[in-house]
Amino acid sequence: MTLRKLLILVLVLTVLIIPVGAQAQDTTVLRVASTASVTTWDPNLSFSTEALYMANIYEPLLWINAPGAAEPFTPALATSWEKSEDGLTWTFHLREGVTFHDGEALTSTAVKRSIERTQAVGGASFIWLPLASIDAPDDLTVVFNLTYPAPLDLIASSLYGAWIISPKALDAVEADETYFEQGVDAGTGPYMLSDYTADVEVVLGRFENYWGGWQDGQFENVLINIVPDAVTQQQLLEGGEVDLALRLPPASYDSFASNPDYAVEVNSTFFNYVGFLNTTRPPLDNKLVRQAISYAIPYDQIIEVGAEGLGTQSRGPVPTGVYPYSEDVPQYTQNLDMARDLLAQAGFEGGGFELRLTYAAENTIEEAFAPIIADALAEIGITVNIEPMLFNQQWEEAKADPTQAQDIFLVLYWPTYSDAGSDNLWSLFRSSDAPFFNLSYYNNPDYDALIDEANVLAGTDRDAAQVLYTQAMQMLVDDAPALYLMDVGNWYAVPTYLEGFEYNPNYAFATFFYPIHLAE
Amino acid sequence: MIEKFEYIVRRLLLSVGVLIGLTLIVFVLTRVIPSNPASLYLGPRARPAEIERVNKQLGLDKPLPAQYLDYVGDVVRGDWGDSISSKQPVLDEITSRLPATMELVMVAMLLAVIVGTPLGVLSAQLHGKLPDVVVRIISLVGVSMPAFYLGLLLQLLLFHELGLFFLTRRFDGTLRFTHPIDELTGFYLFDTAVTGNWVAFKDVAGHLVLPALTLAAYPIGLVARMTRATMLEVMEQNYIRTARAYGISERFILYNYALRNAIVPTLTVIGLTLAYLLTGAFYVEYIFNWGGLGTFTTTAFLNLDYPAIMGMTLFGAGGYVIINLVVDLAQAWLDPRIRLK
Repeated sequence: MTLRKLLILVLVLTVLIIPVGAQAQDTTVLRVASTASVTTWDPNLSFSTEALYMANIYEPLLWINAPGAAEPFTPALATSWEKSEDGLTWTFHLREGVTFHDGEALTSTAVKRSIERTQAVGGASFIWLPLASIDAPDDLTVVFNLTYPAPLDLIASSLYGAWIISPKALDAVEADETYFEQGVDAGTGPYMLSDYTADVEVVLGRFENYWGGWQDGQFENVLINIVPDAVTQQQLLEGGEVDLALRLPPASYDSFASNPDYAVEVNSTFFNYVGFLNTTRPPLDNKLVRQAISYAIPYDQIIEVGAEGLGTQSRGPVPTGVYPYSEDVPQYTQNLDMARDLLAQAGFEGGGFELRLTYAAENTIEEAFAPIIADALAEIGITVNIEPMLFNQQWEEAKADPTQAQDIFLVLYWPTYSDAGSDNLWSLFRSSDAPFFNLSYYNNPDYDALIDEANVLAGTDRDAAQVLYTQAMQMLVDDAPALYLMDVGNWYAVPTYLEGFEYNPNYAFATFFYPIHLAE
Repeated sequence: MIEKFEYIVRRLLLSVGVLIGLTLIVFVLTRVIPSNPASLYLGPRARPAEIERVNKQLGLDKPLPAQYLDYVGDVVRGDWGDSISSKQPVLDEITSRLPATMELVMVAMLLAVIVGTPLGVLSAQLHGKLPDVVVRIISLVGVSMPAFYLGLLLQLLLFHELGLFFLTRRFDGTLRFTHPIDELTGFYLFDTAVTGNWVAFKDVAGHLVLPALTLAAYPIGLVARMTRATMLEVMEQNYIRTARAYGISERFILYNYALRNAIVPTLTVIGLTLAYLLTGAFYVEYIFNWGGLGTFTTTAFLNLDYPAIMGMTLFGAGGYVIINLVVDLAQAWLDPRIRLK
C-alpha cells in the first residue's frame, strides 16, 4: 500500500468515527456521573459508597427529612410507629400491599430477618446496639425491644444497615454468602439493578410495581457512569454526555452559578473538618497551648481556600443542622496576640517547638488548607511539618500508639446516622481503652459522664438531652482537644430541563432518582 | 528432542522459583505497610467489634507465614482469593477486564505502526527539509511528553474545546437501550463488527481514538525516529544507488527496497514497546475511565487490596515468564545456531 492510500484510509476512518452531536433528551434514560464505586451488593453489609445505589433499590422503615421540613420523618415501609412511655418498646405498622422486586410480599418477618442479619454480619451492625429483640406479632406489625432508651426512629432511617430485604434473598444468602455480589437485588425501592460493570457503570431500571406508583416524566432507566475525577465530571456535564454530575470541582462553582442553563443551590451538609490535637504528650497536653493554637487559625481563610467560601466555621464537633447542634456553643476567632499571650502563659514564650500534622492524601480539600494551618502557626513561632498519607495508613498510625502518634490529625467526619450525639460527640471525644476515632486521645471523666447520661436520655427526652449535650460541647470548645475547622457546604448544578432534584443532608452519599423528572 | 524437553522442564521449574520469590516479596510488602484490610472490607467507618469479626473471617488474625502458606495453597488449587474491596474472585476480575486492556493496547500498537512508519519514511525521504523537521518535532514530543499529561491535553482540546470524540469509557452507555453490544470476546471492535452492529462499532471506535492516541504517542515517536535513522542508513547503500542508476522510480525504491531492509530493527523496537504499552495503559485507563486491568490495579494499590495486588503480580509475572520461554524456543527453532542450555 502506498503512503497516499494509507493516509486517505486513515482520514476516511477518522471522519467516519467522529460523533455526530449529542442525542436528544428523552424520558428513557437519566445519565448521571458519580464517584460512587461498589464495594458490595449485599444490603446488609453495605457501609460504603454503594449507598447511592442502595438508596434507590432498597427502602428502610422510614426516611428522615432534611432540617427545616414540616415533619421530621417521611413514612416508607412503615406507615406509622409509636414508642412506649419508658422508650424501651417501639412498634412499627407496615405498609400494606408492598412487594419486593422478586415478587415476595412485605411482612413483619422480612423486617425482623433483615435487621437480624445486619446485626449478625453488617458493617454498620453497631447502630442496632440498643436492640435486644424483635417481635412480629402479626403480618404487618413489628415490635422492637430495647435494652436502654435510644432514638430508634433515627436508627431505623439510617443510610447503612437499615434496608429491608426480601426473605427469598435472605434464604439464598444464608446458603451462599456471596449471593448478592454478582449484582443481585431484592429490595422494594423504585429502581431495580439491571446491570453493573465494575469501575464503569451501574444501570438501574424502573420497578413497575413500585408502591409509590409512576407518573409521566419520571425516568425509566438511570445510567450511572462511575467517574472518580471531578474535572472529568464537569467536562461530561458541559459536553452534554451526562444530565447530572454529582461531584463537580469546587472551583467551577462560579461558572455554573452564572450559567442560566443550570440551577445551582448551596446546602449545608453534615460533614465537618476536625483537627485532632494529641493530648497525650507535651506541649499539646497543656490546655493553654491548645487554646493558643485554636486562636491562631484563620478560619475564614480555610473556608475560602478549602471550599471556595461555601462552608461555615464549625461550632464544636457537631455540624450545622444535625442533632444536637447548638448556636450556644462558642467559636474561636483568629487573634494572634491572644495566641502569643496564651503560649507565654503556658511557658512557651515565642513558641519554638515543632508539630507533625497528618492528613488524608486523597482529600484535596485537606491538601489545600493544611498549609494555611502551618503558616498561621508559624506566625506564633510553631513549626508545623505537614505529612500527607493515605487515610487508611494515617488512621492506622494514629490508633497504634498515641504517645508516638502525630500531633495534629486532620479528618473529614460525618455521623453514620443522623444523631451526632451518639456519633460525633461519643465517637470523637469519649475516652476508651484503645483509641478508635478519639484521635485527640481526650480523656475527661466529667465529659464522659455528661455524654453517657445524654445518650440514654436522648431516647426518651431529646430536649433534656440537648441541654447536657450543649454543656458537653461548651466543655470541648474550652478544653480545645481539637480544632473545629469548618462545616462543609455543598452544591449541585442541575440542568434546568430537570426538576425534582432534592438534596437531603441526612443522606449525603445518596441521590434519589425517583422524584427527578423532565421539566414541563 | 530429549534435550529440548529437558530444557523446557528446567526453565519451568526455574519459573516456579521466580514466582514463589516474587509473591513472597509482594506479600510481605503489602503487609508491612500499615493498613487495615478489614476496614476496607467493611467500609471506612466500621467499629472495632466488626473489624475483629472480619479479621477472623478473612484469616487475618493468623501469623503472616501461615497466611502466606494458605494463600499459596489456594492459588495452587486455582483459587486466587477474593478482592477485599469488591468481594469478587480475583481471577474473575482479571479475566473479565483483560479484553478492555488488550483492545486498547492492540489499537495503540497498530497506530504506532501505521502512523510511525510512514512518518519515518517521509522524514528520511525529505531529509533536512521542512517536513523532516516537523516529523522530528512530533516524534520528540511523542517520546518525551508524559502520557498522562498528553491525555489530559487531548481531552481538553479535542473533547472540551472542539466537541470531538469521547471523554471516558469504551462505549456510550445508552447504546444498551438502542444497539446493545453482543459480548462475544470482550473485544468490542471485533464483537460489533462480526455481529454487524455498525452503530455500536462506530461508537466503540470513536471512544478508542483519544486513549489509543495518548498511549500510542510514545511508540509513534520511537518508530518514526527508528525508521528515519535506518532508512537514512539504507539509502546510502550501493544497491540503492544501483537501483537509481537503473532508473527505477524513487517511490518504488523507497518502499520496496529501502523500507523492507530498514524495517527489521523497527520491528524489534515495536516488540519492546509492548511492555511500555501494557504499563502505560495503567494511567491512560485511569484518565479515560477505561475499566480495564489498569483501573483495577490502580485502585487495588490505592486501597492496599492485597489479594488483588497479589493476583495482578502473579498474572503479570506468569505472562512474562511464558512469553520469554516461547521467544527463546522460537529463536532456537528459527536459528539452529542457537543452542538451548
